[in-house]
Amino acid sequence: MNLQNCYNFDDFRKLAKKKLPSPIFHYIDGAADDEITYRRNTSSFNDVDLVPNILKGVENVDLSTTIFDKKIDLPFYCAPTALQRLFHYDGERAVGKAAQKFNTMFGVSSLATVSVEEISSLINTPKMFQFYFHKDRGLNDAVMERVKAAKFDVMALTVDTITGGNRERDLRTGFTSPPKLTLSSFLSFALKPMWGINYLTKGKFELPNLQDHVDEGTNISTSIGNYFSTMLDQSMSWNDAEKLCSQWGGHFALKGVMSVEDAKRAVDIGCTGIMVSNHGGRQLDGSRAPFDQLAEIVDAVGDKIDVICEGGIQRGTHMLKALSIGAKACSGGRLYLYALAAAGQEGVERALNQYRAELERGMKLMGCTKISDLNRNNLRFRNK
Amino acid sequence: MNLNDCHNFDDFRILAKKKLPSPIFHYIDGGSDDEVTLNRNTDAFNDYDLIPNVLNDVSNIDMSTTVLGEKIDFPLFPSATAMHRLYHHEGERASARAVEKMGTIFGTSTMSTVSIEEIGQINRGPKSFQLYIHKDRGLTDNLIERCKKAGFTSMCLTVDTVVAGNRERDRRTGFTTPPKLTLSSLLSFALHPAWTINNLIHEKFKLANIVHMTQKGTSIDKSVIDYINEQFDPNMNWKDAEYCVKKWDGAFALKGVMSVEDAKKAIDIGCSAVIISNHGGRQLDGSRAPFDQLAEIVDAVGDKIEVILDGGVRRGTHVLKALCLGAKACSFGKGYLFALAAGGQKGVEKILEKMKSEINRDMKLMGCKKLSELNNSKLIYRK
Repeated sequence: MNLQNCYNFDDFRKLAKKKLPSPIFHYIDGAADDEITYRRNTSSFNDVDLVPNILKGVENVDLSTTIFDKKIDLPFYCAPTALQRLFHYDGERAVGKAAQKFNTMFGVSSLATVSVEEISSLINTPKMFQFYFHKDRGLNDAVMERVKAAKFDVMALTVDTITGGNRERDLRTGFTSPPKLTLSSFLSFALKPMWGINYLTKGKFELPNLQDHVDEGTNISTSIGNYFSTMLDQSMSWNDAEKLCSQWGGHFALKGVMSVEDAKRAVDIGCTGIMVSNHGGRQLDGSRAPFDQLAEIVDAVGDKIDVICEGGIQRGTHMLKALSIGAKACSGGRLYLYALAAAGQEGVERALNQYRAELERGMKLMGCTKISDLNRNNLRFRNK
Repeated sequence: MNLNDCHNFDDFRILAKKKLPSPIFHYIDGGSDDEVTLNRNTDAFNDYDLIPNVLNDVSNIDMSTTVLGEKIDFPLFPSATAMHRLYHHEGERASARAVEKMGTIFGTSTMSTVSIEEIGQINRGPKSFQLYIHKDRGLTDNLIERCKKAGFTSMCLTVDTVVAGNRERDRRTGFTTPPKLTLSSLLSFALHPAWTINNLIHEKFKLANIVHMTQKGTSIDKSVIDYINEQFDPNMNWKDAEYCVKKWDGAFALKGVMSVEDAKKAIDIGCSAVIISNHGGRQLDGSRAPFDQLAEIVDAVGDKIEVILDGGVRRGTHVLKALCLGAKACSFGKGYLFALAAGGQKGVEKILEKMKSEINRDMKLMGCKKLSELNNSKLIYRK
């Protein structure tokens, strides 16, 4: 199997599994507890049916949308995800360049392995920074300043990782702190020599957005779960979010909002967007799928801020359904991470291109020529 | 396994799988994307339960109905499907003969491998032609004229195929253009010598209705997907459909209507029927199953236009359930195509006989003497 055989999300996943040492693959692929929420994130789309219209004259389809006052060519973007150089040695460079090519938003994580300054010099298309609220306020201020100086367009504060989720696959594979070299994880690294060679030869692995301030986050030997639990400030409150919002002074979003009540408060404190997300099923297992919760939130705040649906999206038709309910855009992490692991920038481009083709085909079959043509009249909820 | 062992849809499917090279089997069997809609099309029937009545003297059952301008013996007909000669060397000749014998409507595709004129001679019963609007409007006109002359009794304009669906099985098996001979597809052709020999010794494979009009589509080595994307007009609109209705001037159906709004427009432009269909789950995955959407459409327009259900039908009880919700008749594609591949004309006759006898038995078990006794009081949605 190689990149030419990848036609969909699952194919990229399979190829990534082949290329990555298993602890790393399972770090992407896994989720919290029994992974019920993780699975529901995708299966929720299958309980809703699209009802197409016909004879609309659909030769030219416009997939562009505007989020955070930025026009992007696609109604979906690359959500910020951590540690991308673990998955492919080009890491965020590869994903950023691919996103630029398709003129969509690129989300950069606090735990990125390429600095915000470098990203900024690399691409000139819309950029979002994902912010973690640390106990160390000096660190928070410094990150804000650097991201501002690097001219990012959107700041997204993650609010669903107040403590680390229980990712049991990581416990078993040894993706933990210190790295637990079990026999099988050792074998797995030994069996993927290309990954190991690239990891050792293509530049030191680091977390450049944090490294001036912390030792903990600069080495793979601190697990993500530990980072969340020891570095982040669990006392984070609406007051803190409001302060960050005004400190940033531009488009500001809360990532991981799931209730109407919180969505309304996000509006009140000056946010211009929210990501309806459960962190890809990686935090609170048994929590509601974003797509299941979307309508409720759009009904409450959809006319006031940009609502973005994040989680479980694997197909163009999934995006069509979320957009029909009223999401302004969709985003995803695994959506492009498997492709990154499978083949770097080329892989991400192939994935983005496939989703674009699926969206365009789906729009034509729906009888729609622009995103705003999609609405709830074109949906039926089967189990209600 | 042979034709004598085939008692239902699944049996015919298994025999077809045995007989056909795998790219061809999967071309019939597959749907688009994750095949969610393909599976739901059939599953939808299982969320509804039939409530029978008893002691109703069911010694004589009348299963006949009138649809698309013709009286047929039972309320099911084969929908038009492309390229029958790929599945059996006699192709549409076999299926057209079988359908005439069984007393229902034969659907002929624009992409038939036997010509309109020949079908007209072979099958003297009710015949429907499935029309695609091509970018070349002369081609569309020509097809309509020829169908009139050949004695076709109705016209179905397909409206759910402005662009081809994402049929991933075809990509993997190499049912594509040019035919991608992967090791496994080559092996598969070699392992089905009867199919391969029949395909080679009988006349050359061609899309008989459009062979003179276009260089494209004249050979198996142009894939259906490319044909759809290059030749069909994605700008097709209601005016074009209305033009075809007027030009045909007879029983006319739109095939692939899924919304009430569009069903109402179909009435406005003079259609006599709508076929509720998602193209057998082969186009927009995640789209609604015909049976799930049927009641909504029947409630809105069922008294003004014939509503036909197409998609997922594998059993007599499926037909009965659709009729309970107000469908005038059902149509099916995959079932009779597997039967065609499994046993040519005999195969198609056999599956139609099976379906007809299932409908007959099920009517008796429901305590119904005629189709009009089926209504939504005899059906319960389980949830």
